[in-house]
Order: sequence, then C-alpha cells, then structure tokens
Amino acid sequence: MNEMLCVKDLGISFGSNEVLKSVNFTLYEHEVLGVIGPNGAGKTVMLNILTGILRPTKGTVTYQGKDITGEDVTKRCKSGIGRTFQVPRPFEKMTVFENIMVGGVYGGGMSEKHAKVKAHDVGEVIGLQDKLTWFGGKLGLLDRKRLEIGRALATEPKILLLDEVGGGLTESEVGMIISLVKTVRDQGISVIWIEHIIRTMLEGTDRVLLLAEGVDVTCGPPLDVMNSQAVKDVYMGGEEDR
Amino acid sequence: MKQLTKKSPYGIMIAIAILVVLCVIPAFGSTYALSILTLIFIYMTMGQMWNLMGGYAGLLSLGMQAFIGIGGYCLAVFSVNYGVNIYLAILMGAVFSVLFGLAVSPALFKMTGVYFAIGSWVVAEALLIAFSNWKFVRYAQGIGISTVYQLSGTQVYYTALALGVVAVLVVLCLMRSKTGLALMAIRDNTGAAEVMGVPIYKTKIKCYMIACFFMGLAGGVMYMVQGYIVPSAGFSIQWTVAMTFMVIIGGSGTMEGPIIGAVLYVLLTQYLYNFPGWSMILLGAIAVVVILIAPRGVMGTLHEKTGFEILSSRRNLY
Repeated sequence: MNEMLCVKDLGISFGSNEVLKSVNFTLYEHEVLGVIGPNGAGKTVMLNILTGILRPTKGTVTYQGKDITGEDVTKRCKSGIGRTFQVPRPFEKMTVFENIMVGGVYGGGMSEKHAKVKAHDVGEVIGLQDKLTWFGGKLGLLDRKRLEIGRALATEPKILLLDEVGGGLTESEVGMIISLVKTVRDQGISVIWIEHIIRTMLEGTDRVLLLAEGVDVTCGPPLDVMNSQAVKDVYMGGEEDR
Repeated sequence: MKQLTKKSPYGIMIAIAILVVLCVIPAFGSTYALSILTLIFIYMTMGQMWNLMGGYAGLLSLGMQAFIGIGGYCLAVFSVNYGVNIYLAILMGAVFSVLFGLAVSPALFKMTGVYFAIGSWVVAEALLIAFSNWKFVRYAQGIGISTVYQLSGTQVYYTALALGVVAVLVVLCLMRSKTGLALMAIRDNTGAAEVMGVPIYKTKIKCYMIACFFMGLAGGVMYMVQGYIVPSAGFSIQWTVAMTFMVIIGGSGTMEGPIIGAVLYVLLTQYLYNFPGWSMILLGAIAVVVILIAPRGVMGTLHEKTGFEILSSRRNLY
C-alpha cells in the first residue's frame, strides 16, 4: 500500500509543557487508523498539527511524499486534508446545504454550480438529504456530527481526520457513524480517527495507534493493540504503579 | 418542525416598489421629508458597511469615522480649493479612503478582536489630531464647503439615494457571490471556516477595502448635506456609535438589519433633537433593551424565529 501520511519524531511544547514528545506513524492509502490514548495524551494536539492549526516544535509531516510541516491550514485543506472537530462547529446561521457548499467551493476549489451537485451527493452519503434546508444551528448532536463529516467530505479530501466523532452519541448512533466511516474509506479516503469508544476502534479501524504522554506507544491491528500489555499499562497503570 | 429558510417570494417586487416610491417622492414630498430620507440613505450606507465588517467578517472596528472624515475633507479640499466637480471630489474621497485603508491595514490586520477595535479607533483619533494641527485644512477651524450650496435638496436627495441603493446592491451581490459564502462561514465560525479552506485574511481585506470605499463616499455625501467640516466632527467616534447602534437594533449579520436600523436611528435622533442632553441616554437605553430582549436585533430575531428575509443571500438547492 502507498504511504499517504508519514509523521516522524513529531513534538510540540507550550512553554515548558512538552505535550508531544515524539510521535511516529504512517497512514496508508484506503486505511482507517484509529488513535486511542488517555485524556492529555496529545491526540487532539496531534490532529491540530496535522491540519496546520499548530506548528510543531520538532519533527516532520510528510503528505504523499511532500514535506508539509510548514504549510498553513488553508493550503493543507486544499491539498486534501479534511478534518472534523471534537465539539461540532456548524455554521449555525447557514443551511446544511450551504454548510456543505463552503467545503466544496473553498476546500474543493469548485464552482458554486459544481458545489451544489456535490452538496446533494454528500447529503445522501451522510444521511442529511432531507435536512438540506435546515439551519446548522437547529440540528441535533448526531446530525451535527454527520454535518462535520459532510463538510469535510465536500472538500474532496484524500485524508479525513476525525476527532471523537462518536463522542456523546448513543450505541445505535455510534453504529451509524461506524458505517459512515466505512463508506468514506470505501470511497478511497484514508482516515485517522481519534476515539475513546472501544467499539469504534474494533469495528471501524484497520489499525490502532496508542498514544500516551506525547509518545506513540504501540500500533497494530485493533484487537492486538486492545489486548496488549501496553494498553493495560497506559489505562490501568503498569506493574510499578500497582 | 425545525425551521426551514423562507425567502420572501415577493422580495424583489417589494424592493422595486419601495425604490419606485423613493424615486418619485421629490415630486410631492416636503423639504423636511427629503432631508430625513437623505440622512436615512447615508446612514444606511454606513450601517451596511459596518455590518459587512462587524456583522460578517468579524472586524469590529471603532475607527470607521476615519473614512467619513477623509471623504468629507476630500470633498471640501478638492471642490473648494481646486474647483474639482463635487461628484468627482466625492469619488476622490472614496479612493483616498481606500488608499489610507491599504496603508494602515498591514498594521491593523495583525490585530484581532478587541485589539483591532482599539487599533482602528487609535488610527481615527490620530487623524483627528493630525487634521486639527494641519494648516492646509485650516486646523480645527474647519472648511466651509461653499460649492455644495449650488446643489438643490432634490439633487442631494438623489445622490444619497443612489449611494444607498448601490451600497445595498454591492453588499447583496457580494453576499451572493463566492465571497458571501466565505463571509457567512467566517461570521458563524472562523476556525471551522479556515480548516475548510476559506481564505480568512484575503476575505477580510476585501471587505475592509469595500467598506473603506463606501465610507469615503458616505462621508462625502454627508458633508454635501452638512456644508461645513471640522476635524472634531468629521473624525468623531459619534459616527461609529451611530453605525453600531443601527446594526445592533436592526440585526447584525443580516442584509435588512442596517436598513431598518438606519430608519429607526434617524427617526429617533430627529424626534429627540430637541432633547440633546437626553437623546444619547435614550438611544443607549433602547440599545440595551433590544440587546436584552432581542439580541439579534429586529431583523435577526425575525429571521431566527421565522426564517423570513427579503434581501436573501441564501443558496437555492438547485
């Protein structure tokens, strides 16, 4: 499989607080890479670096063979890196249709006409085809999460970064999100999916990366990682802690 | 049922009907009525531009009076001192406003939020001081714009009407363009807009330049009405207070809000004209009550509750 994203020795500090010490991993084509780790492990900070919101203090981010460590947010989006936020941020006074169009017109570089067609297509994929004229601010949590994914999809990403998209949802709603992510992957989009819900990692990912204290601890098939000693140590404390 | 958007099917017809009435009013309207409407058109222009910046682009400026003053002084200096045609002098005011805006924007746009607001205010105050100490513009004594006395009230009325209509159309076209999508996205959530590829800085600069141009025009037309300009009035923060009031009352981030706000502001200030000590207190009290009861202003609240709008920049599904 081809490498889509390669992260090497990624680190960031805020003053004396070293949030990411050294993170290394590779994301391959058509792959869903789950990222787990306790609160404060640096998962969202890592996502912010990958989208260009934060600049790392060390390390490199290579996207399709090109070093993008210094590129800004807009450029990364246009080159094919889309993301969602942990707390959905819909454009509240815009309709669902317009929300998705923004992604198509700007991230995807489409004409408005083309972006409208795209918005209908994306609306179908995320299951909001009947709510295209609703205001973003009137949507419930599940629909807001769907819209987050939809807006990112409208930018025609090659990589989609999901930040706890299943958080706060019911069991059945999580199931819908898992199948939505699978649909996204089947469209040829690679996904990095940060999540705390075990089920999403087991059912919805190809590999799982464990982050702890700003370091990548282990990475492998979901079940192997979940059953690993490393996960037990990170979440329940190692031998020396007990 | 969750609220869907509702464009008024009669929006264009209502707008055209109003425009036709406004065009024929000088034929039968009193001089007083014309002067009130003239002020409404000028304030409407200022409100539209302040709304474009503050309501959409998130640029809460306290210094737009800088461009009112520049517009007014360009009219005074070019038409009185150099005999330039009044309308050309007003246009030159708009061009100078854009040039000044371009000159200060690299510094101003390094700031955001409250810092941008204060920074823009400081720029306007600096201009006030500079013009008050500039011999060329007769220091703080100001300049009598004698050239405008040759114009009739009707001519001034139509000039202000044209300005107001063009300002509304420009903002409407902008909002219906690709930039409009970006502006609405920036208004609702700048961070999310940025990760979706919206060029935040470029979009804001574009809005700022358009606002500078029309503020310069509005300043010129305003001093076409007033006929005398002094720095303390031309660069007064009173202009920004008025713009803020109009947008808050009418509805920030809506097309119709500044229009409704301008009508209410001009009528209220005219009604309270005989109570100079009380007018500002009353206007302030009204603004506070509106903020508490309807934080999105008249049009914003109506839009929120019913989805109704006349000058819509909504995208149709097909």
